[in-house]
Amino acid sequence: MLRELTARAAEAIERARAAGADEVFASADRSRSVEVQVRDGETEKLQESTSRGLSVRLYVDGRYATYRTSDLRPEPLAAFLRDAVAMTRALEVDPFRVIPDPALYAGRPTVDLELKDPAVLALDMDTRVRWCMELNAQCRHERLVSATVGVSDSHSLVASASSNGFSGHHERTGHWRGGTVTLRDEGDARPAGSYWVGGRHLEGLPSTEEVGQKALEDATRRLGAGQGPTRRTTMIVDPRATARLIGLLLGPASAGAFSQERSFWRSRMGARVLAERLEIVDDPLIVRGLGSRYYDGEGIAARRLPVVTGGALQNLFVDTYYGRKIERAPTTGGASNLVVTPGTRDLAAIVADVNEGYLVTSWLGGNSDATTADFSLGMRGHAIADGQVGAPVQEMNITGNLIELFAHLAEVGDDPWPYSSYRVPTLAFEGVQFSGA
Amino acid sequence: MGRRHFIEAGAVALSAPGVLSACGSAAQHLAAGPTTPQASPLDPFASIFGVDEAMVRGALAELTSRGADQAELYFQSSRSTSIDYEDGIISRAHASVDLGVGLRCVVGEQTGYAYTEELTRESMVAAARTAAAIAHGAAVAPPQRIVHDPLAASRYAIDVPWRDVGVDRKLPIIQRAAALARAADPAIVKVEISWADAESRVLIADMHGRLVFDERPMTRMYVTLTAERGGERQTNRANIAARQGPDFYSEENLQRVVQQAVDRTMILFEATRPPAGEMPVVLAAGASGILLHEAIGHGMEADFNRKQISIYADMLGRQVAEPFVTIVDDGTLEHERGALNVDDEGRPAGRTVLVDRGRLVSYLHDGISSRHYDVEATGSGRRQSFRHAPMPRMRCTYMEGGPHTRDEIIAAVPRGILAETFTNGQVQIGAGDYTFYIKNGWLIEDGRLTAPIKDVNIIGTGPETLRRISMVADDAQLDTGGWTCGKRGQSVPVSIGIPTVLVRQLTVGGENRAS
Repeated sequence: MLRELTARAAEAIERARAAGADEVFASADRSRSVEVQVRDGETEKLQESTSRGLSVRLYVDGRYATYRTSDLRPEPLAAFLRDAVAMTRALEVDPFRVIPDPALYAGRPTVDLELKDPAVLALDMDTRVRWCMELNAQCRHERLVSATVGVSDSHSLVASASSNGFSGHHERTGHWRGGTVTLRDEGDARPAGSYWVGGRHLEGLPSTEEVGQKALEDATRRLGAGQGPTRRTTMIVDPRATARLIGLLLGPASAGAFSQERSFWRSRMGARVLAERLEIVDDPLIVRGLGSRYYDGEGIAARRLPVVTGGALQNLFVDTYYGRKIERAPTTGGASNLVVTPGTRDLAAIVADVNEGYLVTSWLGGNSDATTADFSLGMRGHAIADGQVGAPVQEMNITGNLIELFAHLAEVGDDPWPYSSYRVPTLAFEGVQFSGA
Repeated sequence: MGRRHFIEAGAVALSAPGVLSACGSAAQHLAAGPTTPQASPLDPFASIFGVDEAMVRGALAELTSRGADQAELYFQSSRSTSIDYEDGIISRAHASVDLGVGLRCVVGEQTGYAYTEELTRESMVAAARTAAAIAHGAAVAPPQRIVHDPLAASRYAIDVPWRDVGVDRKLPIIQRAAALARAADPAIVKVEISWADAESRVLIADMHGRLVFDERPMTRMYVTLTAERGGERQTNRANIAARQGPDFYSEENLQRVVQQAVDRTMILFEATRPPAGEMPVVLAAGASGILLHEAIGHGMEADFNRKQISIYADMLGRQVAEPFVTIVDDGTLEHERGALNVDDEGRPAGRTVLVDRGRLVSYLHDGISSRHYDVEATGSGRRQSFRHAPMPRMRCTYMEGGPHTRDEIIAAVPRGILAETFTNGQVQIGAGDYTFYIKNGWLIEDGRLTAPIKDVNIIGTGPETLRRISMVADDAQLDTGGWTCGKRGQSVPVSIGIPTVLVRQLTVGGENRAS
């Protein structure tokens, strides 16, 4: 299969060049995925599929465009590439657009990142269904309305090559398991909770029993939820919810956002504007990590990138194109695994020291402005009083400015959520504006 | 990132479109199908998909070989193009072609699903066998003939299909919009225009031998502006979208979308946060239909109700709002982004009244739920592409006009806010809490608009919000912007609309400055 994909990418380069492209980056991919869903003990959905495609980036006479097709029959594919070159030629000349410097392809990590698990490839349908039944068996409750549990796995292989010397491939597996449980509350409300875990390998994941129990617990904690009072107070964010905040904070830390003057970081690069305790590293080299990789989307060899150091933004995500626009050397176009350097205590210990505040367990909607850092987010969670997690709350917002919020970061936990490419522990903030009743 | 929740906890979301994710993508003059049509009475089979009737009947026979209550083949050929303007030039384009068939076998409420991008007899039969594994009964007799059921007239016919419109026709439209934006205000420092056009051709052959063909165009233009004043920068956006061809971009439409983007951006320099907490909220006519989408629309999708996991599951027939509140989900509005001729199960897409003069009267049904409730399907079964099984989804969701006027409504508010533009929303189906994010609005004091506001999230509970709708104006209008609805990992294009409405109390994510 790898040989076939490699040949397809090489052939695409050859054909595009024959049609007049100056430079080409081509990727041929194949992926397979399987999903099983069980609702209330009955198989609700079985889905199994294999997908493939070809993507090319073309540099033609100083112009640039990207293309993708899933129609790989020889004749349509040949026509597709010919037409792609012709369409690119009809665009405008862009002096900033060049294929990456081949020097950046060099120095690819040689460690085995273990992104493929043979045990995932060996899974059969009976096992997946049995695991679903085990997940379902944990979801019993006197208020149960419905429980939907599921198991899914995937396997992908991508081979890439470029006309200026890049060549590489990566193969990944993934497995996810979890469930969503809905309970009957007072009145018409039917609160739901869920718990999902996953990774590149089966080994190390919690058992189906544990995951099923956690899904049910997540739902039972939502019973009787109401609004808490509007106040400015302490906010503790559960590790399952902290990734959203880090995503909003670092989304505008890119050369693209700088170039288009749409980043609140432009005037703050290198300045200690956040709490000094905040350290964030982009680490593509975590063994078995969900965001781990040997090279990025442009083919640039992967390396660790300190992003926030001592509360200051130290590095940007810089790709070749926007790097030229803002005159910065390329780092990588986007995050791999974003790792927040852990502290020393877990969620429970941090909550125990809080007199009054709210614990956020999930977000609902909301947004932030990348140019100004103003944000407002819907939240669900619990009130905290005297070091204890109290009544569930919902239908509340938090509002403020991201720079100000992270300047008031009071503590970082030691408990990052492991089933994500964001490795972010519990975060505690002082003086956050909540709106509720 | 990396996390793959294929069953979210009942949370579904709506966002202003960054992408036309619902349709595949496409390039000019790219051949998606074989170039030599074969002799067949079913022309699209041959000319677009390169298959014949015998292959289709063979796959249907395999798909129903272990029994089925509903089964179909969903062929799709889609193409799309996106073009970006940035820093004074057309800086990049993307085009894609997607071709494949999805095969579904439904038994009761159980679904077997598979798809293939290889439209050969062997691949289709193999995929049919995979999908049929869900069933354990006796074979259903396959149809003897496949009969084309032609559409009366398309709701979104356009003169020239997008596949025949060259880049040379699109570039001047984008450049015109950019020139209008650059000239609009000297404070504007960055103009970004994002263009998308797409078409999706679908052919649905069901287990009874009925064949439906639909051709669905789509286009959208997004204008993003960044302005600078005294060292401070502000960014905002506006977009227009429709199931239309290039004629959609008249000078008038270009001027309107650019002016919207300029107004929404420049006002941000004056805007502040309103106070935090509960207060009356006036929803401006048009885009505030996002309230209906989140507060009631998703909760009325029948899959959530047949599973009893929606807060609306026991409410059918109940009076849920004042008698002047009528809420409709409608696929029949010509050329609207959410319009459909047929849904993705091949059923005619009609007009469904959800709330009739305050009373909850119908859910949005697909085939599975219509059999569950023993009612007519509403033509609401939609899917993102051939890679996905359909489920009940909204189309154009709006509220009809009421007895009040906009002026009366604003005058009735002693202290509250007016919501005008939005970026996104989300809802929890079972608990009923929902949100939407206001990008632009106004503070209302003593019945007058006094100061612009920005960046506040609104949160409420669906049924409670319906009860609190205390005034509805006579100025109902659909939003001209394009919205994309996400549910369980599938995106589909939708439209929203509403007249000016007063909700007497909602929780506003404002800020109370420490005193």
